[in-house]
Amino acid sequence: MSLIGTAWAEPIAGPNLAQDVSDLKRMMAAMESNVEVLKSTVRAQNEIIERQNYRIETFEKKQISLPSSAVAAPQTPASAKTFLQGKFNPDIGVVGTTQAKLTQNKADVDGNNTIALKELEVNFSGVVDPYSRLDAVLALNDNLESQNVDIEEAYYTRWGLPFGFTTQLGKFRADIGKENLLHSHQLQTVDYPLVIRDFFGEEGLSSSGARLKNSIPNPWDLPLEITGEVLRGNNGNSFSGISRRPIFNTHLKTFFEPSQDTNLELGWTTMFGDENPSRTIMVDAGTGTGTLVATSYTPPEGQDRYGVKVFGGDATFNWFLPEGKKVMCQNELYFQNRGNVAQINNDPWGFYSLLDYKFSEKFSTGVRFDYLNPLDVEGGHGTTSVSPYFIFWQSEFADAKLQYSHTVSAGGEKTDNAAFFVVDFMIGAHKHAVQ
Amino acid sequence: MQFNRKKEITMTTQRMFILSLIVSSVALSFCPALFAAGKLNVVATTTALADIADEIAQDKIRVTAIASPKQNIHHYAPTPKDVLKVKKADVLIHEGLDLEAWREPLLAAAGNMRFLGEGQYSMDVSQGVPLLEIPTSLSRAEGDIHAFGNPHYISDPENAKIIATNIAEGLANVEPENADFFRKNAETFNQKLDEKIKNWKVRLAPFKGAPVVVYHRSWSYFAKEFDLVIVGEIEPKPGIPPTAKHLAEVLQIIREKKVKVIIKEPFEETRTPKKISDETGAQVVTLSQSVGEPKEAKDYISLMEQNITSLEAAFAREGGK
Repeated sequence: MSLIGTAWAEPIAGPNLAQDVSDLKRMMAAMESNVEVLKSTVRAQNEIIERQNYRIETFEKKQISLPSSAVAAPQTPASAKTFLQGKFNPDIGVVGTTQAKLTQNKADVDGNNTIALKELEVNFSGVVDPYSRLDAVLALNDNLESQNVDIEEAYYTRWGLPFGFTTQLGKFRADIGKENLLHSHQLQTVDYPLVIRDFFGEEGLSSSGARLKNSIPNPWDLPLEITGEVLRGNNGNSFSGISRRPIFNTHLKTFFEPSQDTNLELGWTTMFGDENPSRTIMVDAGTGTGTLVATSYTPPEGQDRYGVKVFGGDATFNWFLPEGKKVMCQNELYFQNRGNVAQINNDPWGFYSLLDYKFSEKFSTGVRFDYLNPLDVEGGHGTTSVSPYFIFWQSEFADAKLQYSHTVSAGGEKTDNAAFFVVDFMIGAHKHAVQ
Repeated sequence: MQFNRKKEITMTTQRMFILSLIVSSVALSFCPALFAAGKLNVVATTTALADIADEIAQDKIRVTAIASPKQNIHHYAPTPKDVLKVKKADVLIHEGLDLEAWREPLLAAAGNMRFLGEGQYSMDVSQGVPLLEIPTSLSRAEGDIHAFGNPHYISDPENAKIIATNIAEGLANVEPENADFFRKNAETFNQKLDEKIKNWKVRLAPFKGAPVVVYHRSWSYFAKEFDLVIVGEIEPKPGIPPTAKHLAEVLQIIREKKVKVIIKEPFEETRTPKKISDETGAQVVTLSQSVGEPKEAKDYISLMEQNITSLEAAFAREGGK
């Protein structure tokens, strides 16, 4: 600066002036360089401050979660208290599923030859207190007729009951086999297997009720998990009874590890419930067989009480291959014993077999075979379906599924070919329950 | 008659349901008697942690690991067997920092009240570890980043010493009568590691400053400790599978920086690193952070020994850095 001042104050001869200008330029360049260095230093310091703030915040959070006896209460400023309050908010996540479907089915119903947002799930979860937690999933549907919001799951979990029992209260996906426990975006395929859809509903059975679960001790240290559920009665296709007669469900599962790279899970489901038939019975359009029962039909008191029994077995085999590759073979078989005449078929049954191969970090492929002897078709005319699929895992948070389904029903008289393209995407917190 | 028979069946089924729950409860009431054991039952989330805990507590505990050493620790899916392990455990040792994203669902499934919150029975061994790559902002646009910093700190044997001390102190809190035993063993373990670290550093000294490419951002601590420079990652962002465009950039980096070694873990695919190797001549070397993978890595020290030997051999094949 003094040099500049001098330069203006005293007239300087030609050669000296050029020299001074050159010096000034050099000084300016050096100053600019210094400013840049200072700028980057400030940037680096800011980053360090931000990191330190983040760590301090984390430590403060951890101190707060410690028992009061362990740590003296820190003197936290009021502003910080307000800020940390936000940390007690539940984990929130959003999962969207968009589906495009092309089908031979000519019916102008929801989902046929359309592309639509199939579902938007908003999930909340968090610890309630030292004994319990809450999980909730709200599903927003963009149906053709109306947009609606469903409580897909909302249940309170209480741990630490006598003898190590855990209970869950609220609405949850019933512990039936394997796939019924999963949300649709967790499936390998774009839809639930035929037998699940026919017996328990398009999205499986999710119902209000209470659940009690525990592990059965045994001398072999074998995982032997038993679940008992009491569910609201008027749920699912199989149990279309009344609420005051609940559905009882038990599921027993065990697990083996034949080798370090393989495991096998076996499960057994027993359900019984009520059907108080006040519904129109479908007659098989293909064969014309079946008995039409009037909607006003009421069985004698007690005749159909818990007259619907569903039994099912499930087996899942996982084989972990090198480099993150994996083969999974999953099978579920269900059959019913119905003691009333509310449905045409008193002994419906069905199964599916799913073979899935994750052959790279990005791609999976597989096929599902379905067989169903449905509730509402008499005469042993089963429905079969073959659904090969391909999945692209863009990341842990987004995937795309392509599936083709060839379905033959009513003894081969009706066929349908459908192609699906589904994209799942999620933001925020999203942790799936251990199955 | 049919009515009576059906009613009878229904009542029998109801009774069976109630009976099964009662039987379960009674059976469970014998649970402590069936499983009573003098040793502390410790569950560690990884095989490396289980091994370090075993070194420190030796015959005072019974330790088991959860995640399979062959699988990606981030994506491990807990099994019913893991649920049972956690349910019956007295102490849980984990690496913290969101490394085991599946830990919370596993704890919820097991419902072992000891591990809820951060009490003395749930040991986060990351305490005191100088963390790297703490994000200044959180966005999934940066991939599967970890809010508290890079969680793969166990790859640095200096951090294993902190882990050992943390485990010893944690176990000392739970069993004060064995506190001296735990602390002495931790000290012995750390001394063994110190000697090994000196040896490993000498062996890798000729390759000091060598540029390397890694598959996933899981070797930052290792590279810092042994003076290697990570110049690129095969994943475009952490946890995001490689793309053709990104691979072109990686190829360019490898050529420009004269990278000789590409580091991957056993569960990561080989095809992409091999393709890069074929085009650039860089060696693909598989290093592990899990005890038991490969089989020869029977404990943490032999695991690191295996890693250093593999790396040394890869650099040597390429004639230095």
